[in-house]
Amino acid sequence: MTEPFDHDDELLARLRAADPASSLTPVPPEGVARLLEDAMSHDVLTESRESGTHGRSLLTWLVAAAAVVLIAAAGAFVFLGSDDDVAPIPAVTEPTVTELQAPDPSAYEARCMVPNAAVLSGRTTAFSGTVDDIDGEVVTLTPDRWYAGTPTDLVTVTAPGAQLEALLSAVSFEDGERYLVAADEDGRVMVCGFSAAWSEDLAAVYAEAFPS
Amino acid sequence: MPDEADDAARRARFEDLAPGLVEPLRRFLVRRTDAATAEDVLADTLLVCWRRLDDVPEEALPWAYGVARNCLANAQRGVRRQVRVAARIATVDPPAETTAPPGERDDAVAEAMAALPAADADLLRLWAWEQLTPAEIGTVLDITPNAASIRLHRARGKLRDELRKIDDASGHEESREGRSR
Repeated sequence: MTEPFDHDDELLARLRAADPASSLTPVPPEGVARLLEDAMSHDVLTESRESGTHGRSLLTWLVAAAAVVLIAAAGAFVFLGSDDDVAPIPAVTEPTVTELQAPDPSAYEARCMVPNAAVLSGRTTAFSGTVDDIDGEVVTLTPDRWYAGTPTDLVTVTAPGAQLEALLSAVSFEDGERYLVAADEDGRVMVCGFSAAWSEDLAAVYAEAFPS
Repeated sequence: MPDEADDAARRARFEDLAPGLVEPLRRFLVRRTDAATAEDVLADTLLVCWRRLDDVPEEALPWAYGVARNCLANAQRGVRRQVRVAARIATVDPPAETTAPPGERDDAVAEAMAALPAADADLLRLWAWEQLTPAEIGTVLDITPNAASIRLHRARGKLRDELRKIDDASGHEESREGRSR
């Protein structure tokens, strides 16, 4: 055959002929609408204290309103129906969240020391928890034990753009796995081995740093 | 309530912007990973676009490709991902490239691309499949347009060399099978 592809346009044509997406059929409009709706309602499920009531969909308000009515009704029933001492019915609450961030990119290049209790003890947030979700920019964990800081139901670690990749490289967060995580008072997660997959050795260091 | 109005405005902007991104993002992802991962990463990417709606530039698509690229890199890590993919692959269509008729598939291109360094293959995809200008490639990869041009030029050279090697090796067989051109 002739000497091919010395010219860019021939190379381009050959590459384009091998495009894996050439036979992809478009998503129908209902599918597109669903994709958008999923994105817009995602954060309603893992809402932070900061955003409060912003961005709640109508459905959430309806569910919350219905829940309040049910609880009020249940409260009235209990109040009227019994003389006994009754424990207060807990109100509907949103999960509490501790919001952490990925560290400054320079933290990944710092010389690392072996994690030790002395350095760790200065941190204001420390816990062990399991990863529930890793989406585009946020790692969500459910804590099971708090060493330092106010306990909350969830912890999120936000890392915009390519920082999430760096964070995942450093701590290797994976869905369903358990980790020990510490952060400073600015909410920046410690790397260099201080935050890592749960292990008896590291848990011992955490316990030493934060005697209860 | 002012908050409700803001929220409605934000939703309207997203509903205006995002539909035009869906197909290009799907193609971008299908070119780089299996169908199941592509679906997950598409959702991740749209979520980031929603959260960072205020940061989306006028030229949204190159920026969105950059987001998709990061989300894809994150999604591709870990053994767990392989387990998820194995479980779902049975119910999901095979990747688009295997559905092309055998006579038209250009295995040499796939082989040549696989032989290149990842960064070069990356550039060539953005140039040939997403059809981005050097400036747009710069946005996706967070490098200057000049750097994009230079690296792209080198990548094309490497691809040519690889293709020549592969074509020479297969020689007669390919012309007999009749590559469509």
